[in-house]
Amino acid sequence: MIRRVTQIFGEAVAFLDRSRKLGWTDLALAAGLGGTIYGLIRLAQEWTGALRPTVNIDLSIGALPGYALLSLSRGLAAYALSLLFTLAYGYWAARDRVAERVLIPTLDILQSIPVLGFMPGLVLGLVAAFPRSNVGLELASVIMIFTGQAWNMTFSFYHSLKSIPRDLTEVATLNRFHWWQRFRWVELPFSAIGLVWNSMMSMAGGWFFLMVSEAFVLGDKDFRLPGLGSYMSVAVAAGDGRATLAAVVAMALMIVALDQLLWRPIVVWAQKFRVEESGQTEPMESWFLDFLKRSQVLPWVGRLMRRAVSAVAPARPATRPERTPARRPRAFAGALSLALFTLLLALLAWGAFGLLGLLRQVPLGAWGSVGLAATLTLCRVLLATAIGTLWTLPAGLAIGLSPRLSRVLQPVVQVVASFPAPMLFPAVVAMLTAAGVGLGFGSILLMLLGTQWYILFNVIAGATAIPADLREAARIYRVGTLQRFRELYLPAVFPYLVTGWVTAAGGAWNASIVSEYMSFRGQVLSTTGLGARISMAAAGGEFTVLAAAITFMAAMVALFNRLVWRRLHGIAEERFSLTR
Amino acid sequence: MSQATALAMTEREFLCELRHVDKEFPQGKGAPLRVLQDISLAIRPDEVVALLGPSGCGKSTILRILAGLTAPTRGEVLYHAAPLAGLNPGLGFVFQSFALYPWMTVSQNVEAVLRAKGLSREEASSRASGAIRTVGLAGFEEAYPRELSGGMKQRVGMARAFSLDPEMLFMDEPFSQVDALTAESLRAEVLDIWAAKDKNPSSIVMVSHDIKEVVYMADRIVVLDANPGRVRTVVENALPRPRDYRSPELLQLVDRLHDIITGMEMPDVPAGRAPSAAFEPIPQVGAGEILGLLEYLDARGGQEDVFRITSDTDREFGKLIAVVNAAEVLDLVDTPKRMVVLSPEGAQLVKASPEDRKALWREHILRLRLFQVVMDALARSEEHRVDRDFVLELIAVHMPNEDYERTFETILDWSRFADLWTYDEESETIALRHGS
Repeated sequence: MIRRVTQIFGEAVAFLDRSRKLGWTDLALAAGLGGTIYGLIRLAQEWTGALRPTVNIDLSIGALPGYALLSLSRGLAAYALSLLFTLAYGYWAARDRVAERVLIPTLDILQSIPVLGFMPGLVLGLVAAFPRSNVGLELASVIMIFTGQAWNMTFSFYHSLKSIPRDLTEVATLNRFHWWQRFRWVELPFSAIGLVWNSMMSMAGGWFFLMVSEAFVLGDKDFRLPGLGSYMSVAVAAGDGRATLAAVVAMALMIVALDQLLWRPIVVWAQKFRVEESGQTEPMESWFLDFLKRSQVLPWVGRLMRRAVSAVAPARPATRPERTPARRPRAFAGALSLALFTLLLALLAWGAFGLLGLLRQVPLGAWGSVGLAATLTLCRVLLATAIGTLWTLPAGLAIGLSPRLSRVLQPVVQVVASFPAPMLFPAVVAMLTAAGVGLGFGSILLMLLGTQWYILFNVIAGATAIPADLREAARIYRVGTLQRFRELYLPAVFPYLVTGWVTAAGGAWNASIVSEYMSFRGQVLSTTGLGARISMAAAGGEFTVLAAAITFMAAMVALFNRLVWRRLHGIAEERFSLTR
Repeated sequence: MSQATALAMTEREFLCELRHVDKEFPQGKGAPLRVLQDISLAIRPDEVVALLGPSGCGKSTILRILAGLTAPTRGEVLYHAAPLAGLNPGLGFVFQSFALYPWMTVSQNVEAVLRAKGLSREEASSRASGAIRTVGLAGFEEAYPRELSGGMKQRVGMARAFSLDPEMLFMDEPFSQVDALTAESLRAEVLDIWAAKDKNPSSIVMVSHDIKEVVYMADRIVVLDANPGRVRTVVENALPRPRDYRSPELLQLVDRLHDIITGMEMPDVPAGRAPSAAFEPIPQVGAGEILGLLEYLDARGGQEDVFRITSDTDREFGKLIAVVNAAEVLDLVDTPKRMVVLSPEGAQLVKASPEDRKALWREHILRLRLFQVVMDALARSEEHRVDRDFVLELIAVHMPNEDYERTFETILDWSRFADLWTYDEESETIALRHGS
């Protein structure tokens, strides 16, 4: 022990010795650390603060960074939760053959359910559970964001685990890696790249739910939380143009900063987990990662931590009994998995039973009106998707086919796509009311605002992936523009287009809940539709109707996925895939 | 010493052993696919054993059963005369595809298996650097696998295996993805390391399809038969080491193995041709490859030694023999001993115009039972269509040892070449081409 202490002391002296070389990198890091600690303290105050009947938003520009930090902390907390969930759930589903049969379909259903439908219930429940503090509201917000982030990450992790090449797992088996070694050396590295990309997408998608939950008003009850979302809604209500613009800029800045300071470095670092030998010729770069690498302090901290870990957990004895190991831990893991599995089944059965009980009380007439509302909303969703396709297809092709345009516009599109549309809803609704357009058509515009970017994004990706030789062949044989579009571009981007449609339509269903019904300047605006039905039922506390409406929406989304999107996806894979 | 005790002694000395091992893989339709049948094989101390056979004979499966990675369907696996439970201890494994973790450096790849054994960080790193030096990679410790050539990657694979100081070294087609010159030096280096008698590995078991490589390296050569995999014969190779590729003795042995393989893979009297309900086997090769073989033979006066063709076309002999067998099933070539001879009908086909070629090809494939049965079904069906599933069923019932999906692909390819049938992907049905 004493030796270890002196060793650490020696390291410290050596570090101080080197500290003459400490650059501004380390100073900046130290300042960043201080800021983080202050932020955490503020956050703790906020969470444990007394529950307020209404939110007090300071519309001065100086208060904006504080609100942005609060929003950011919710997003990051939800992301941490999503990551934990992903690792546990994905690992379980991939390793346990029996549980897999229930876990994966469950995940598929969770993914297709419009989770915003549960928000009113969730908020009311959690606020009731923590009547005195902000914890309930904050928790509801984090859980809402989590439900928008977790599923695709989990699917990606699960699929990675399932597709590890056989020889790589055989090396692990032959050499008796125990589960932690297998996880750290094989499974996690192999899934790293997919996990990083999906994390980025999830984080962007999460802003949508963050804005909704921060600006949540149900009937006459105000559940808003201090943050960018509520700042925006208050600013619009007050007709403060300057503050509205400032909030939009702050959100955009936050997205850019997160991209530059967090995701870019991680993406670049994750390149070392690439499996394929070739491909990706131009190396990716991140100025922030280079900046961190210049630090003198970080490597020292890393060594210190490693030493601390090995002090707590000494290396296992070199001689291990060869025959018996594995047996007991495996039995334990089996029992644990079985227990969890039984619990999950019980939970699912209980949920289904409870839901049936509620649905039995729904009168037949109510089903009829829900069905009508659903048809209207379906039309809006499809219209929004169609309008989105109409302009994004040519625009995406133009951007993707021109290296110059895509270099300039790709980052812009990326930021715009991660910008949470609900933040703009109040401003757009203000304009719509001024123009005299009702929510019946207005909600299509609101849906479009959030979902068209998914289509654009995918079309651009598809257009950049069109092989050069196909384009050259079209040029050499002087294929006309229209024919080129019909016979080359459209088929080539079709698989990407389908992916874009699936995501966009899913987003539009979710958006219907907040765009067909909203509180605006103290009054409630609404139109006939399934989303409005859900919001109204929640506001009025009609839980049987709420259950019926949500079930109907989930069933419709699932059915549509199965009958339309999956079929289109199959056609795309079979006929238009360029990689087969 | 009586003979019985002598036998018991040797048995105890076996490092590991397979006794009457069968291996089957379940298939969607029909009976499970039998990959190995009645394999008995023992690995003695201080020897190099090579498993030689065409692709699909289950060589790699045998290796994986010995390693304890897969369990046999029937039969026993022994390790030092006791039943093997779980993984074979004392084993180093070298993979055809190298199986290196791309996110780890060379030394991390080697250290990982040592750390898994419970060695401390320091010990693992010193043993790893020793192993890396042994295979001649000193200086590359911090490189990532993607920066290395195929040969260097396989050196890392070998360093990883040797670092464990294994009793046995298993190698699954270790040099087939390495360029020819590098493979040459790797073979010699492996033998040098093995030849140090006082040190591990005591024995090497390797899988290969390269006859020269096997004769150069092995003390015993286990020749396997395909569909299902069986031990055809075991050839002892007592040539003194170090061996010379050009020595007459070595070439003689290569020649003998050629004869064994052609005798087994291209029998002069085709087996199972005559009566019974069994269908003729359909080797899974494309029509274009068969035509290519005929053109090749035609350009060389109508005949050639099969191993000459193998080296001329730079193909694995197992694959080439499949092409020859397909041509023979269609009566387009004959195979007296090791020669492949263009039959008169084959010569006629090669010389015909494109149109006549199709007609002749159609005539030849319609001599096969499977094609005849499908044609009958097409004639009987009202819409003149036949489901894919119906054909798969036929194959599964009448050709139980074939992979039915690949056989289906093959007959589609042949019939398309003959302009005989069309296949609709969406409805998964076969229909007659108009006018045929």
